[in-house]
Amino acid sequence: MAEQKNSYYTQGLSVPETPAPGEEPAFWKQTHVVGKRLPRVDAYERVSGAAVYPSDITLPNMIYGAVLRCPHPHANVTKVDVSRAKKMPGVRAVITGQTPEAKKLKWKYNDYSGPLFDTHCRFEGEAVAAVAADTHFQAWDAVRAIDVAYEVLPFVADHNKALSDDAPDIHDSGNLVGTDEYERGDVARGFDAADVVLEQEYHTQSELHTPMELHGCVAGWDKDRLTLWESTQGVYAVQSEIAEILNLPLSKVRVIGHYMGGGFGSKLKPGKYTVLAALLARQSGRPVKLILTREETYLCTGNRPASTMHLKAGVKKDGTLTACDFTCTGPSGAYPAGGTALVDWQIRDLYACDNVRCASKDVYINAGPARPFRAPGHPQASWALEQMMDDLADKIGMDPVALRLKNIPEISQGRNQPYTTTGLKQCIEKGAEQFGWKKAVERAKAHNQTDTHIKRGVGMGACVWFVGGGGPPSTVIIKLFRDGSVNLNMGASDIGTGTKTVMAMVAAEELGVAPEVIQIEHADTETTQYATPSGGSKTVPTESPTVRNAAIAVKRQLLEMASEDLNVPASDLDYEGAQIISRNDKNKRIKVTDVSRLKKRGVVVGVGYRGPNPPKKSVNPFAAQFCELAVNTKTGEMQILRFLSANDSGRVLDRLTYDNQVFGGIVMGIGFGMTEFRQLDARQTGRLCNRNWHDYKLPTALDVPVDMESLPIEIDDPEANNTGTKGLGEPVTIPTAAAIANALFMATGIRFTRAPVNPIEMRRHLTAKKEG
Amino acid sequence: MLPQFSYVRPDTLQDTVRHLKEKNAAIHAGGTDLIGCLRDGIMQVDKIVSLNALSDLHGIRETADGGLVIGALTTITEVAENLLVKQKYPGLSQGSSEVASPQLRNQGTIGGNLCQKPRCWYYRGEFHCLRKGGNTCYALDGEHQFHAIFGHDLICVITHPSDTAPPLAALSAQLKISGPEGSRTVPVENFYLLPVEDLETETVLKPGEVITHIVLPAPAKNLRSSYRKVRARRSWDFALAGLALALEIENDTVTRGRVYLSGAAPVPWRSRPVEEAITGRKLDAATIQKAALAVVEDANPLPENTYKMDLFKGVVEEELNAIR
Repeated sequence: MAEQKNSYYTQGLSVPETPAPGEEPAFWKQTHVVGKRLPRVDAYERVSGAAVYPSDITLPNMIYGAVLRCPHPHANVTKVDVSRAKKMPGVRAVITGQTPEAKKLKWKYNDYSGPLFDTHCRFEGEAVAAVAADTHFQAWDAVRAIDVAYEVLPFVADHNKALSDDAPDIHDSGNLVGTDEYERGDVARGFDAADVVLEQEYHTQSELHTPMELHGCVAGWDKDRLTLWESTQGVYAVQSEIAEILNLPLSKVRVIGHYMGGGFGSKLKPGKYTVLAALLARQSGRPVKLILTREETYLCTGNRPASTMHLKAGVKKDGTLTACDFTCTGPSGAYPAGGTALVDWQIRDLYACDNVRCASKDVYINAGPARPFRAPGHPQASWALEQMMDDLADKIGMDPVALRLKNIPEISQGRNQPYTTTGLKQCIEKGAEQFGWKKAVERAKAHNQTDTHIKRGVGMGACVWFVGGGGPPSTVIIKLFRDGSVNLNMGASDIGTGTKTVMAMVAAEELGVAPEVIQIEHADTETTQYATPSGGSKTVPTESPTVRNAAIAVKRQLLEMASEDLNVPASDLDYEGAQIISRNDKNKRIKVTDVSRLKKRGVVVGVGYRGPNPPKKSVNPFAAQFCELAVNTKTGEMQILRFLSANDSGRVLDRLTYDNQVFGGIVMGIGFGMTEFRQLDARQTGRLCNRNWHDYKLPTALDVPVDMESLPIEIDDPEANNTGTKGLGEPVTIPTAAAIANALFMATGIRFTRAPVNPIEMRRHLTAKKEG
Repeated sequence: MLPQFSYVRPDTLQDTVRHLKEKNAAIHAGGTDLIGCLRDGIMQVDKIVSLNALSDLHGIRETADGGLVIGALTTITEVAENLLVKQKYPGLSQGSSEVASPQLRNQGTIGGNLCQKPRCWYYRGEFHCLRKGGNTCYALDGEHQFHAIFGHDLICVITHPSDTAPPLAALSAQLKISGPEGSRTVPVENFYLLPVEDLETETVLKPGEVITHIVLPAPAKNLRSSYRKVRARRSWDFALAGLALALEIENDTVTRGRVYLSGAAPVPWRSRPVEEAITGRKLDAATIQKAALAVVEDANPLPENTYKMDLFKGVVEEELNAIR
């Protein structure tokens, strides 16, 4: 077979040494593909529209589902009469809590388990019934024809009132989901040792997940086998949960999720809609498409919980932090869903401090349950901690950058174990240098002395992300065909981050093939291997070492095969470009595509597994962000002028998708800090006010700066895993809002303790300041 | 989900009016507001009457006296970018370019922009509010940070969403309206109804009536106009506060001034106190200061929107400084 030009074993490309059987691969010293700016391998499909997302699926005989949802934040369903709906044209399935196949089913929130259809509706948007009909329109007409009666109950929508005596009990156990406490050192002694002690209350609003693709799926049965085309971050997570709920063997549930339009944590698991689609499909004997409306997703597919935080911190004149005392109350929503999950991690772990106490209280309110939202808990506490750091710096007359550099911890204090690597110091130092921090501060302060109502400010914040090291399990299969082209088979989802592209680059690096000859097969429980869902910034550090191991498994087999052709032991062989050669006798060489057994067999299959993480060490990414902005002190309008993000996420695999993540994280952080908030009609009806894209304000292109800079801080981390990678997707959005708040303080002299700071909030504070 | 309706696209104005006269008929021009209204079920619609076959309603032309006639179906983008509009009425050009987002400006029409339904989240949401035939204004005691500080009479606290109506009213534009009883002309300043006048509808349009053209008088020799909009985010958002100025300035002195606010009231709100504060005066620091205080003189803010007081003051200060 003729070698194709530029496809197989690209000329001159060296291939990393193949470790002997049983040996771990060496850390890549120099790379040829990895680290470049490569466009996405599926760019054509995505841009041309050829990519098929679950929302695009159309099957023969497919019908459409719709869900009747409780319009009250708290109510008992007293009657559900579907007799009229059943007779409506086109209707093929109607499901309620009384339908035999639904009656026995359970739905879980963390450790809470309740009926799939609970007559006690604890949030607006809870499912009461579901229908499927030949058209979308008929399905919704049928939903409207269901005769349902509610006994409306008193509600509580404000997490700060959830535990008060006059708040109605949302669950029999009361409104406390749980508490979490942490302590190290002696906080009282720490405060005694401080020269300055400050305390402040901080608030952040609830943010709603707004992925471009709505939540939903297509469900179809083939006898006793269920297939789900689900918009998900993890096909295996959907498979296991649906199999458990429907009491099916895993092998009878196939979940396909090749393309999906974003999730940000809200699609780590199936939705109740997934179960409803499966039940409607079974009852009707047809595939059912159930894609929620945006209004429905805003009500019931998750949120970043609001927070009320209190932070007291002490510092010595030389900048040494002596104590931190942090409390937080946050709402899970109507069911246990992590209302304060990970919220104190920045306090526990980011800055060196011997005396730390954290206490959080997770409460129920009558609103949709939370779901993980890009770096759960972290931007909230960062909002508090990073502003407090600036206030402390101000009080002791120290530069904010210097104060942070003074308090770089040597180990992960929250875990009491070392990090494999920490780039916190470099992120702050190099980020400040690249940003021109000192000059920018001087410039802004000089500008603010002039006679203008447009004030300027610069601000910064740093962060650590709770996880980000990935870990087992993961299995990847690489097939090398006899012409040298490759099939890469993995279960992981590409949630828009470029997973497919970077994995192709890892395989290309290890095998010496061009990334474009690698075909990717992924995110299908029937045809690809087990993977945990893409979340927690763990996909790259979990899957890329596995891909590398699979590629090495291919290479080892090829060496064995070549040893037969060359009549030398495999241990004497290694790769040189597109050939396998003997180390001792350079004349003994064979082109990989000439290896007899490869030609005969047609394929070599390599299986890679994700090895364990280093024992007793923590693998974490770090970041520091810097911004410059302007404030119109007459109108309260703000403009972010530039942003820089310095990220230690280990090795950069694809600089292009890396930068995409950084910019996306900054944009989302701007949303958290300046534009987005869920507005409940808390004082009257408890219902959601802003359920569309006008009223729920995502930042637009004009709200984000053109000047965004990504500065990777690449530190060799061979201990973390064999690609030296750490997660990136979440740290990029943690300190953004706090950096903005710190810049706003420099511009206005006002501490903005409530997020988001939009022109309304800004104008209110400017007035309050004026009036003293 | 859209309701069921029939759809007609008549090619004469006469037929259009005939269809519109029917019960629960609604106009389709650009459709950017209509689709949302239908989807949110805020009005009962049985028939949709498209204006898109009416070619007379498109385009911008100069009148003999130097004014402009703008067809109601002219897109917002066309108005924003038209050179005659930019030369003669920069305030209208600015107002148009501040509308929504580029996509919506390309699709939305100037006539439709004037006839938008309110954007109150209670009105648009699943709340049976006063304006939809219910018996309470939820915004009054609820979440009203985006709502009115003038002209609500504590009845209904919507703000009018248009960014083109305030400059058009300031520029003394007139609307040509066709209807079952023939055609009539209504000044933009008299086109809108306060809640105290009528709760069910926002304009004086009667069943069967449609705006066909907008007529702008020739600009006075010394006319300066502008429009400034402050919003919660920088694109695709309605005004928290806006200011349309149409001032005639001779020898630094304002000889005539018309001032309209957006984001302020259920209608484009004429600020006579500002007009009085500046007319006959030089736009110096003292006058501007007076005007800034005057703008909120008659305001009746609600607990969550008192910030609009200083916001309007700030906008008046900035814009009078900019235009002088």
